[in-house]
Amino acid sequence: MSNLETLLSRDAFLLSVDIRLFWFVALIYGASLVLYIIHLVTKKTGPGKLATNILWFGVITHAGLILLRTFEGQRAPFQTLYESLSWFAWSAAVTYLYVERKWKDIYLSGILVAALSMGACLYALLTRSPAVEPLSPPLQSWWFEWHVVLAFLSYAVFVVSCSIEIVYLAIKPSLKKGLGTDFGINMDNLESFHAQSFRLALFGFPLLTFGIFSGAAWANEAWGRYWGWDPKETWSLITWTVFAMYLHSVSIPKWRGMPASIFNILGFICMIMTFIGVNWVAKLLGIPSLHLYAM
Amino acid sequence: MTILKKIREFNWQAIRENKLYWRFASLKTSVIFLGILVFFYIIGTIFPQGGEIDDYIRAGGRFSSFVIFFNLLELFTTPIFLLSALLLFINLAICTFERFLLLLSQKTLKTEELQFIPSYILPLDINPQLEDAFEGVREIFKKELRFREQTNGSDKEQVGSVRIIEKGWSYKWLTWIYHVAIAFCFVGFLLTYLFAFEDGITLYPNEHTKIMPTAVSRWNGSWGKGPQELDFKLILDEFITEHNQFPALDYPKDKLSRLAVAMGWKEVKYLLDNESYFPKDWKSRLRVIKGNHAVLEKTIEVNDPLYFQGITFYQAAYEQNLKIQVDDNPILLETEVGKELIVPGVDGMLKFGTLKTGTLFKKDGTTEKIKPFVETTLVRKDSSGKSETKKLGKLVQDESLVVDDKRIILKEFKEASVLSYRYDPGVPILWISGILAMLAMSLRIFGAWHRIAYRIDEKDRVPRLLLNIKTKGLMANEEKFIKRLKYHLNKMTEPIDLDTPV
Repeated sequence: MSNLETLLSRDAFLLSVDIRLFWFVALIYGASLVLYIIHLVTKKTGPGKLATNILWFGVITHAGLILLRTFEGQRAPFQTLYESLSWFAWSAAVTYLYVERKWKDIYLSGILVAALSMGACLYALLTRSPAVEPLSPPLQSWWFEWHVVLAFLSYAVFVVSCSIEIVYLAIKPSLKKGLGTDFGINMDNLESFHAQSFRLALFGFPLLTFGIFSGAAWANEAWGRYWGWDPKETWSLITWTVFAMYLHSVSIPKWRGMPASIFNILGFICMIMTFIGVNWVAKLLGIPSLHLYAM
Repeated sequence: MTILKKIREFNWQAIRENKLYWRFASLKTSVIFLGILVFFYIIGTIFPQGGEIDDYIRAGGRFSSFVIFFNLLELFTTPIFLLSALLLFINLAICTFERFLLLLSQKTLKTEELQFIPSYILPLDINPQLEDAFEGVREIFKKELRFREQTNGSDKEQVGSVRIIEKGWSYKWLTWIYHVAIAFCFVGFLLTYLFAFEDGITLYPNEHTKIMPTAVSRWNGSWGKGPQELDFKLILDEFITEHNQFPALDYPKDKLSRLAVAMGWKEVKYLLDNESYFPKDWKSRLRVIKGNHAVLEKTIEVNDPLYFQGITFYQAAYEQNLKIQVDDNPILLETEVGKELIVPGVDGMLKFGTLKTGTLFKKDGTTEKIKPFVETTLVRKDSSGKSETKKLGKLVQDESLVVDDKRIILKEFKEASVLSYRYDPGVPILWISGILAMLAMSLRIFGAWHRIAYRIDEKDRVPRLLLNIKTKGLMANEEKFIKRLKYHLNKMTEPIDLDTPV
């Protein structure tokens, strides 16, 4: 066997481990989702707690998978959509677990996070190629890592912010009517729980700003113009603007409640559109995109 | 001078008393204008920006008359979009101006002092004097907790008066700074919009190439000025292409088979026989000639352009021209990569893929000079106009492929480097204002700012500290701060151990 053949069989072995581990991680996220749903239906704390513990296990395994991918490619593991979906799933779950520590018996917001993490993993596994590609010339830039890491960190933070917002909007009416819930949320901690959603959006906003700025700086270096109204660029600007609207509307007393919450959820929808939806729309409408490698 | 005098004498206050002015100074207006821009952005992602209307119709685009009427393929340069952006800019400018006046007036300090409602009351079991407590607390805030005094012109030394102290970068000033920086970003965008122009140039090796832009900036265009030839030339000394060896992955596309891979029922393989050449880099070794002298030499590549006299040259693409010999015919047929070539005696047309040349970086770490070759296909059209493509294989330089008994030989090739170049005076302003905006925004949001209004008085002859805390920034933690304060206060009120030698 030649040296090259040995290397290829090693790479194939590593890739098959990578793929199986990724399926396993998707399964763990799925198990966590099922337990969160059981918590929602039964109103018991046990399944929620177990779901969180399983999610921790998933996140740790997923971290190992990301390290393996980094070793395989000898570069940051978010070049292709397959890789960035994996990174997105992991960072959303990690952010959720970090935030959830503060809320001992509140697990409801885990539903959306676990569902998105599992969905992202399955979408990558079932529709994208797992091949570890070398970096193409436009991606060989100092800005590449910064741009992707910060943009995806902001996405992760917005996912958790939105999940808290949805739980708040769903729980608040029954609490106001004095019906009470069994999900660890009561009138005493409702507002401070909700404030976490704002704080997360506030945390994610500068990250998204830097993500867009670094993308523009990179585009200026690689393509000669910092902004080209490419669909992906424009949707990132839409996401930024909608979150700017959210952060401003929180400062307007009359808009502080429901209108502000709607902006937060809209911002999340725009973020999903920027990440995945725009690729579908661009393909559907036949619009060429400079972000083709991310499709 | 008269203009300056008029400006000075103008009744600015009258503008500030106008209702419309205050409508523009409101946050609600900002949110509405941002919403209008979002609407335009969304429209801009539905219709391909910068495209030609003919291409749009050919691609099956609908509502073409509507698209033409509203100029939807150039939406972001239409007057209605520019007007919306201008309104947002005016709103931003007025808001930052008003905020500036408010910050200078220090109204908040006065209000906080007047409306002092304590949220914490901490007893100070200090013996014997209220004066000692006052000084002790002041020392703690200043030396241990590193707060600074906020003076408001009033007498601060009096016991019983409300004192205001602050720690961290003022969130109000930081908010103001990043809003001002964003306003300057608008200036950068405007400069780009008015003065930027870009064009492309194709350089062939060892040829002096004049740079004659065909594009002109909007500003020059509006004054009827045409493009001008630049006062320097470029020489391409060498064009270098590099490839990575990237064997194809044998991996199923259908979902069930992928599941079989996950279960270990199917194997994943990299196929060496189907190896492809993945582009690693394209480089152009350039010389800038001014007069008769070379004034600059640089090898540019993607992500590493050449800057000269305010113009930036980017490695955009390359062109490849081939010379094909058929049988022993001394007349060579010229063609370009990707274009179809009619060869007499061949049924159909030949089409050549990208010419692979330069250096190959192999997976085992070695490098290899690629013997130039092109993937060749035969395109045949039947009577109904449907075309059929047949792969003929690699056509290596000076080797032949036989098609319909004709020997096709790749005799020569020529590569040219395609550069794009751009002049954009908005970029430096955007760099400065963008970095400033992000710095101020990060400090404002991630940092910690505390303002404390406190007073010391006595109840039942026991001094007590009454305080009110306001925090901003994600790092600010009121609970932790109160814990620290209590710790220092306890230390201050600890009884002196008389046995301990001084």
